[in-house]
Amino acid sequence: MNSISIDLDKCDGCKSCVKACFINVLRWDKTGKKPVVVYAEDCVHCNMCEVNCPKECIKVTPDFAYMQWSAL
Amino acid sequence: MAELDSLGKVISTDVLIWGGGIAGLTAAITVKEKSPDIDVLVVEKATVGWAGKADRGGGILAFLTPNDSPEDFIRFHVHHVGCFLEDQELLSEYAHTCNSVLDRLDAWGAKVAKEKNGSWKYVKIPGLDVPWGLAGVDLDMCRCLHRHAKRLGCKFVNKTALVDLLKEGDGVAGAIGFSVEDGECCLVLAKATILASGSQNYRVLPMWSPGRGDGIAAAYRAGADMRNAEFGSFVNMVHAVSREVIFGAEDHMYNAGGEDVTGRYRTGIQSDIYPMAAVGWYREHLEGRGPVRVNSDENLLQIGSEVLFATDLIWERPAANAFWSRLWEKAKSAEVGDIANMPEVVPGFIGEQSPVKVNHDMATTLDGLYAVGDVSYSGSAWTGAVPSPPGRIRGTGLMNAVWSAGKGAQAAAEYVKKVEGASVVDYTQAAALKEKIFAPAHRDAGVEALELVRGVQKAIIPVRYSNWKSESRMREALGMILNVKDKLEGLKAKDPHDLARCNEAESMALCAEMFYRASLERKESRGWFVREDYPSTDNANWLKWIVLQYEDGDMALTTEDIPIERYPIRP
Repeated sequence: MNSISIDLDKCDGCKSCVKACFINVLRWDKTGKKPVVVYAEDCVHCNMCEVNCPKECIKVTPDFAYMQWSAL
Repeated sequence: MAELDSLGKVISTDVLIWGGGIAGLTAAITVKEKSPDIDVLVVEKATVGWAGKADRGGGILAFLTPNDSPEDFIRFHVHHVGCFLEDQELLSEYAHTCNSVLDRLDAWGAKVAKEKNGSWKYVKIPGLDVPWGLAGVDLDMCRCLHRHAKRLGCKFVNKTALVDLLKEGDGVAGAIGFSVEDGECCLVLAKATILASGSQNYRVLPMWSPGRGDGIAAAYRAGADMRNAEFGSFVNMVHAVSREVIFGAEDHMYNAGGEDVTGRYRTGIQSDIYPMAAVGWYREHLEGRGPVRVNSDENLLQIGSEVLFATDLIWERPAANAFWSRLWEKAKSAEVGDIANMPEVVPGFIGEQSPVKVNHDMATTLDGLYAVGDVSYSGSAWTGAVPSPPGRIRGTGLMNAVWSAGKGAQAAAEYVKKVEGASVVDYTQAAALKEKIFAPAHRDAGVEALELVRGVQKAIIPVRYSNWKSESRMREALGMILNVKDKLEGLKAKDPHDLARCNEAESMALCAEMFYRASLERKESRGWFVREDYPSTDNANWLKWIVLQYEDGDMALTTEDIPIERYPIRP
């Protein structure tokens, strides 16, 4: 499956990535005030979290083999 | 109300909008612009402003340029797109009024590209002589509309999955669902409900992923009619390695022997993407002539490695450029090893099933329930024998979303003004729905939602089932879907997010069943709908819409004659 890494030292907790995810892969840790990757198996590597992170601290690495199917 | 409070959080509003994508936001803004005193609440499974497909698509608007006439558009559409299955009265209204969509998006803050003189900057699709052009809008349009909707006083609830409609008598009085974060049950009581929950896309191709059919399934279970469900089998040619769409791929396909596959299967006038591309790919493989590759050097939608619609070659769109360049940069890193100018392609099943039946006001067959955007694209019937866009006119998706949401919102606002008193939902009904919705969360063991999703995908993705149709293969696929349906009672959810997946699995099974039952009934080929066993269009018997309805637990099917004698264009 796709992997999403977050450099929490660089993250300033703006929450943009959590909002940007259109299928709720990321969640907000209310205690730590940082994003958490909870449902990586649902990630479709739209990269919106990565593209919209002002601190550039998120990296989505697609696993193209994970989403293969047979059209035959 | 006191009793309902015991079931969960209860919210009352005048208008509930189910879904915070482009159609939902348009509906919210339109109600407020028309009637500022009407309360509007948008409920969204993810986050309003970022939700839905609009900002992860092409950002193109198929509009009528100064050189295109509505009459030419209508004539072309009926002959070559919807193939006489259109509601021509609604199509005519669309053709004469759709250009207002660009003005509205612009006024609401979305960045529609303009020439220096203020006119819309557009491009004609290279290689196609069609009576429309494509304007461009940047891929932050939902954020722009969200800001505008907030300023107008619309309210929003995020991270909440709605599952079922609440009824008052035969009418709709709101919806019930739950927070995907903490699992709290949520009941929204509303005088009017507008479904803007998108099409069914079976979570196969990435950017179409949020369309999981929740709203379609809810409307069906509540008793709303479905129409044109058999056209929900949209497929796009994608890169075999990265599974990213190759724009224009269907026009330049070659088999392993170097023969022109496109030339063999692209017959007659095709407005845009056509179903026989996938069928051709399948037959080439079946007959031992695969793999199928695309000659990128011939592809008019690509210039070098740049894609015409997705870069700043035509329009300057910073958000779109950031999105597309990142997406393709990663895809290309995976595609190393494939032949650069002759990449292998496979059909990427999408679906774009959009069958909620609506009238010219975007009102469903249930009082108080409206359906706008991709949830009712085919159900509205102005579009004829096609799935939702990209369908057979790329760029109509955004146009229809804003156009239909504007109409539906105005009608819903008028409806609300006539409703006396607050909505009343009886406790027994709401409690029964809550028990059903939360059942997977209370099971100690059971089947996982993703396992059933994969079961549905196996019966819908293969070309031989959903696009190159035959009686026997569709019966086989329907059997697989019914097998999945039998297992729904045993779903187990480990948390609220997973509970949403359970509902999505059920919605997918239901939509796939609608697709196959309606497809088995239509014994002809027309528009996007292709049958191996009935290859011809049959105007004598099939100028009809197929309508599905939930009846005592079964899927009842009827047909409705198209009033072709009333329409100006006939076969």
